[in-house]
Parts: sequence; C-alpha cells; structure tokens
Amino acid sequence: MNHPPSPRDAFWRGVRELLPAGPGVFAWGLVTGVAMVKSGLTVTQSVGLTLLAYAGSAQLAALPLMASAAPVWVVAFTALIVNLRFVVYSAYLRSSFMSLPTSRRTLLGYLVGDVMFVRYVALLTNHPDYPQRIAYYLGAAIANWIIWQAASLLGIFGAEAIPTDWGLELAGTLALIALVVPLCAHFPTLAGVAVAGSLAIIARDLPLRLGLLLAVFVGMAAALLVESRRRPS
Amino acid sequence: MSELDLWLSFVAITLATLLPRCGLLLAGRRLVIPAPIESALRYAPACALAAIIAPDLLLPSGALQPDFGNPKLLAGIAASAIFGLTRSTIGTIVGGMLAFWLLKFGFPG
Repeated sequence: MNHPPSPRDAFWRGVRELLPAGPGVFAWGLVTGVAMVKSGLTVTQSVGLTLLAYAGSAQLAALPLMASAAPVWVVAFTALIVNLRFVVYSAYLRSSFMSLPTSRRTLLGYLVGDVMFVRYVALLTNHPDYPQRIAYYLGAAIANWIIWQAASLLGIFGAEAIPTDWGLELAGTLALIALVVPLCAHFPTLAGVAVAGSLAIIARDLPLRLGLLLAVFVGMAAALLVESRRRPS
Repeated sequence: MSELDLWLSFVAITLATLLPRCGLLLAGRRLVIPAPIESALRYAPACALAAIIAPDLLLPSGALQPDFGNPKLLAGIAASAIFGLTRSTIGTIVGGMLAFWLLKFGFPG
C-alpha cells in the first residue's frame, strides 16, 4: 500500500492494532469494576466513578483511602501521583497535537491510556512520518475506552459472582508483559526496564506510591545513559 | 465517608487524572520541551510498565517473594516465554493464567 491512508483507514488501523491487547484492557477494567464494589462503593457510586475518571490504577489506588475515610485532598493527591506518568505521555504527544484546537486537544488528552499510548509510540517509531496519526490515535483510544468501560461496568454489576481468589487481576499484568517484552529487543530499553523494575521493588515503601515515579525516572535515565554509551558523539 | 465527600473525591480523582493528561497539551507553544527530555520520553512507557509489573509479580502479598513458591512470578516467566515464542498477546494472557491457576490450585498443600 503505497498511497497515503485515508483518515478512515488510519482510524481502523488504530482499532485493529489495539485489539490484540484488548483482553488485557478488559481484564484490568473488570478487576477495577469488581474492586470498587468490593471496597464498599454502591453500584451507582462505582458507575459514577468509572465513567467520570476513566483512571484505572488511580481509581484502584484511591479505593482503600476512600474506604478508610481519608480527607478528599489525600485522595486527590494520591491519584495525581499515580497519574504523573501521563505528564510524560502528554509531553510526547505535544508535537503531534499542537496544531489542533483546544477542545480537540482536551478530548485527545482525556483519552490517553497506557495500552493505546504504547501502540501510538510503536506506530511513530516504525513510521515517523505517518500522515493520519490523529485518526490512528483516535481509533486506538476509542477502542481502549469502550473495552475498558464495558469491562468495568460488567465487573461492577457482576462483582458478587466473581470469586476474588481467581486472581483475575493477574491477566492485566500478563497483558502488560506482552507489551514490554517486544520493546526489550532494544538494548537501552531493556536496561531501563531492568532498572525501573528493580527500583520499584526497592522503593516500594515510599509513601503515596512515590517509588513508582522514582523507578520510572531513574529507569529512563539508565536507558538514556546506555543509549549514549552505544552511540558516542 | 459521607455521600457528599465520596462524590467530591470522585470529582477530585477526575481532575487529578485530567490535569496530568491534558496540562501539557493545553499549555501554549511557548513551552518548549528540550530535545534530551523529549528523547528520554520514548523510554517512559516501558519503564512505567516495568515499575507496575515487577512489584505485582515479586510482591504478591506485600512481601518480597523471589522464589519458586510464588505462582505469580512463575506465571509471569511462563507468559514472557510464551510471548517470545509465539508473539501472541492472547496466547500470553491465556497461557500465563493457566500456569497461574495450575500452580495455585493444581498442587494443594
């Protein structure tokens, strides 16, 4: 296919390339839905939270705080820390989106998620000049949103029927493994992954999940260091 | 927590998610991100995912368990091997979950 893709082609390519990770997104959504109800929220409250926030790990991190009646600002601050990785993602997206109107940028920003972002970076890594990148992004992002929300609602309404000891949340982690393993063929990325994974374990007792942030930043620094050693300028 | 405080918390979580997602996208063009930082950002997703995966597999109940009695760790290793061999995401998830259930429920005692 040598002619440039139409926006419609690019949109469906985004949908198609997200789908292999769909079961993982579905499992995470299902687990989050179940966890909200099991932590004591009513069905109405759980539906409200998931449709408002679309936040995944921040929702999960906030549950024990709300269950123990923590102050609203502590809940907000914890969610913010867990979500700081999105600052890093949106910094990457800036160059693609800057020419769009504010409302479009807000919508595209709201739709950022871990899985669809990895797909988008992979597209631009393999095709740096891909012309219909916004349509591709929308396709992957909307597929991600629909799968997540459908699974989350199913988890909320089916929470009583799913035994907790099935350990279904592991399916989400396994899907993340399938995202990371191919990236590790690139040696600096492998170094960053090793450092970030180790540091996340070592720094696990830092408050407010700051260990996660520290691991991400030091891992990125390690990857850059390895990259600069391999290509001395 | 009162009903009002809960809904305030939901709104707070929503804002705490929108701000990091949209803040940099809405900032003006005058904000220039230096090239080294922009190139470092390429490594962000892999590092963030590793930082989520490693504790989940190695700290199954909050304590470090880097041994063969840890079904999550073994399932994660099996899943990585399956992905390496097949490149199939669905195969990786299904195979990893089967390994996990076999290790967790298959060998009682």
